[in-house]
Amino acid sequence: MADRPEREVRRGRKGRKKVCSFCVDRAEYIDYKDVAKLRRFISERGKILPRRVTGTCARHQRALTVAIKRARHLALLPYTSD
Amino acid sequence: MAEGKNLYETVIVTSAKLGEEGSAALVERFKALIAEHGTVQSVDDWGKRRFAYPIQKQTEGYYTLINFESDPDFTAELDRRYQITDGIMRTIIVKRDPRHLNAQKPQKAHKAEEPNIDVEAIAAEAVEAPAESAQ
Repeated sequence: MADRPEREVRRGRKGRKKVCSFCVDRAEYIDYKDVAKLRRFISERGKILPRRVTGTCARHQRALTVAIKRARHLALLPYTSD
Repeated sequence: MAEGKNLYETVIVTSAKLGEEGSAALVERFKALIAEHGTVQSVDDWGKRRFAYPIQKQTEGYYTLINFESDPDFTAELDRRYQITDGIMRTIIVKRDPRHLNAQKPQKAHKAEEPNIDVEAIAAEAVEAPAESAQ
């Protein structure tokens, strides 16, 4: 067994580590009324984007999910489009 | 009794069919109802907004945000009144956490400008956003 070089860890996949944008802003609360911000976390079809795409931390993803669902209820965001 | 009070916010979406005055009158009635059982702290009228999806075959409605303080029992009564009132399309009542109040204020401030933004700009933004994150 040849010893594996350390740099192999991130082999193949390039790209930098994503940081949770809510942690950067030190957001305590994700507002369901802030449509412009919530828009960034849904796909064109209106689906909530997964953490692996947006880099949101688990704690903020949970809060974000609630905020998006509240916004959907008020027809501020779509449940689906087309 | 005072320590039993909680902070709440409620958004009322009224039908565009009522017109500006009809909708304002309806909101006024609920403001009075809330004032009877608690204290109205602030009212933010977002004006007419397009729905993200049609509700009862309508595409627009008037949005009003009311911040208030009341006993926890009152929310059930308020919700019951919402359900039995004609012309109300959607409502939400959310308890506000006093610890987050400072964080909420600036968001609300720029929220007030939003109804002026045209829908196409928002739609364009929505299309761009997922493309960015897909990189």
